[in-house]
Amino acid sequence: MIRSLWTGASGMIAQQTNVDTISNNLANVNTVGYKAENAEFKSLLYQTMQEKTTSANGANKPIAAQVGLGTRLASTTSDFTQGTLTANSSNSAFGIQGDGFFTVKGSDGKTYYTRNGNFSWSNGTTGTTLCTQDGNNVLDSNGNAIVLPAGTSSDNVTLNSDTGVIGYTDKAGAYHSMNQSIGLAQFANPSGLEKMANSLYGATTASGTALNEYTNTNLTKSVVKQKYLEASNVELSEEMVNLIVAQRAYEMNSKVITTSDDMLSQANQLKR
Amino acid sequence: MVKGLYTAYTGMLVEQNRMDILSNNLANAATNGFKKEGSTATAFKDQLALKIKDISENNVAKKLGSVNLGAKVGETYTDWSQGNYKVTDNESDVALDGNGFFAISYTDKSGNTSVKYTRDGAFTVNKDGYLVTKDGDYVLNENGALNNNGSAASYIKLNPNEKYTIDEQGNIFQNGSAVAQLGVADVSDYNYLQEFGENMYDLKNGGQVIKSNATVNQGSLEASNVNVVSEMVDMITISRAYESNQKAIQTIDGTLDKAVNSVGKV
Repeated sequence: MIRSLWTGASGMIAQQTNVDTISNNLANVNTVGYKAENAEFKSLLYQTMQEKTTSANGANKPIAAQVGLGTRLASTTSDFTQGTLTANSSNSAFGIQGDGFFTVKGSDGKTYYTRNGNFSWSNGTTGTTLCTQDGNNVLDSNGNAIVLPAGTSSDNVTLNSDTGVIGYTDKAGAYHSMNQSIGLAQFANPSGLEKMANSLYGATTASGTALNEYTNTNLTKSVVKQKYLEASNVELSEEMVNLIVAQRAYEMNSKVITTSDDMLSQANQLKR
Repeated sequence: MVKGLYTAYTGMLVEQNRMDILSNNLANAATNGFKKEGSTATAFKDQLALKIKDISENNVAKKLGSVNLGAKVGETYTDWSQGNYKVTDNESDVALDGNGFFAISYTDKSGNTSVKYTRDGAFTVNKDGYLVTKDGDYVLNENGALNNNGSAASYIKLNPNEKYTIDEQGNIFQNGSAVAQLGVADVSDYNYLQEFGENMYDLKNGGQVIKSNATVNQGSLEASNVNVVSEMVDMITISRAYESNQKAIQTIDGTLDKAVNSVGKV
C-alpha cells in the first residue's frame, strides 16, 4: 500500500515539473530566439513482488511478477528547430537562419551564446560598440568586440547576409567594409548547452566546444539577416494540449493517493 | 471461523498489489513508450475439508467437500499494444510501428554491459556523434540488436555537425549516403521480457531475439498506451473489492466477538 502512495507521489512530482516546463514555454512565447523545452519521463526501477508466477492455464512463466515504483524526470530537452524570422525596423536586429549561435562576452569575461539577435549600439570606452540589450558585447568571428570607427552613425551600418561581413556607408554614400564578420558558433550537441538567464547559453562538456562557423569548413554555414528577429519557436496549440494532459495526469495521480489513503484507512478500521 | 479471517486477508493483499500496479500505470501515463501492466489473481489450491472427532459420527472422519482459502497474485502481464504517436519533428526522435524494440547497451555501476530493449525512441546525438538515450546509454545498430552485442563496435556513430534522416527500415543517411542502420529487434516470446525500469526491458535466459518487421518513423515518439478511463474504472473496482474484503473481516470479527463475549452470558 505504501508503494502505491509513493508511486502516486512520484507521478505528481513528474507532472508538476511538466507543468513548470510548459508554463515557462508559454511565458516565453514572445521572447526573441527562445527555444521550446520538453520534459520527458522514464519509469523507475521495478520490484519483484512474487518470484513464481503462473499464466492463466497454470503453466509456469519465465519471469517474476514485478511492480514498478513510479516515474521520474529523464530530461528537459530544448527543441532547436528554426523559429519564424519576423521583420523588424531596427538596424541592429539580426536573425539567424540555420544552426549557429551569436557569441556574446558575458560580464564575467566568458563567452556565451544566444539566438536572440536583438542588439543595440552603446557608447563604450572604445567607441560605439554592438552589444545585447543587457550591455554585453557581441563578438566577431575572431572573438573581438565590434566597434564603429569614430564619426560613423550606427544607422548606416549594414551586414552582408551571405558573408556576415559588417560595413557602413559614409556621408557620401560610399561603402566601407569593417573587415569584421558577426561571430557565429555551432555545437556538436546543442541539447547539451547550459541554459542561463537573459536568453544566453553556456558551453558544457556535453555540448562540446564551440565550433567557429568561419574556420570550420565542414559546417553548414547559417545565414544572418539584418532587420529580422527570430521569434520564439513555441507552438501555442501544442503547449495548451500538453498543459491539459499534464494537469489531468496530475489529477489522476492525486486520485491514486486519495484511493490508497482510503484503503489504508479501511485497513485501519479493521480493529475496532 | 478463523479460516475466513485469513481468506479475506489474502483478498485485501491481492487488491493492494493490483493497486500498486495500477498506480504505476497512472504515474507513467506520460512516459514515452510505456506499456500498461496488469496482474491476475489466482485462487489457492482447493483443500479438502474433513470433519474429525465428531462423537455423533463415532469419531469417523467425514469429507465435507473442498474449501478454498483465498487468492494470490498469479502473474503480472504487459499489454504490448501500440501506443499512439506524438509528432515532435525532432530528428533524433524515433517511434516504432509494429512489434519490435530498440536495443540499448546498458552499463551498470560495476561496469557490466548488457543489452536492454526499449520502445522509447527519444534519443539524442552526443558531442562525439554517438546516438544515445537521454541517459547517455548507447543505441545499438542492426548487428548489435540482432546478435545481442553491446560492445563499442555496435554503437551508432554519426557526424554530429550534419543533419541526418532515418528511413522506415532504420537506415540512417547523412549527406545522401547511408552511414548506419538503427537496430530494431523483436523477441520470439514476449513472456521472456522482464521490466527493468528506465523504460527498458530485460531479456531473460531462454528468450530469443528475432528480426523485427516494425517500421521506424523519424520525428515522432510513441506515447504511453495507458488507457486512463479503464484505469480509473479499475481503481474503483479495486478500492471497493478491498472494502468488501475488509467488511468480511469485520463481520467475522463481529461473530467472534459474539462467541467470546456474549455466549455464556445469562
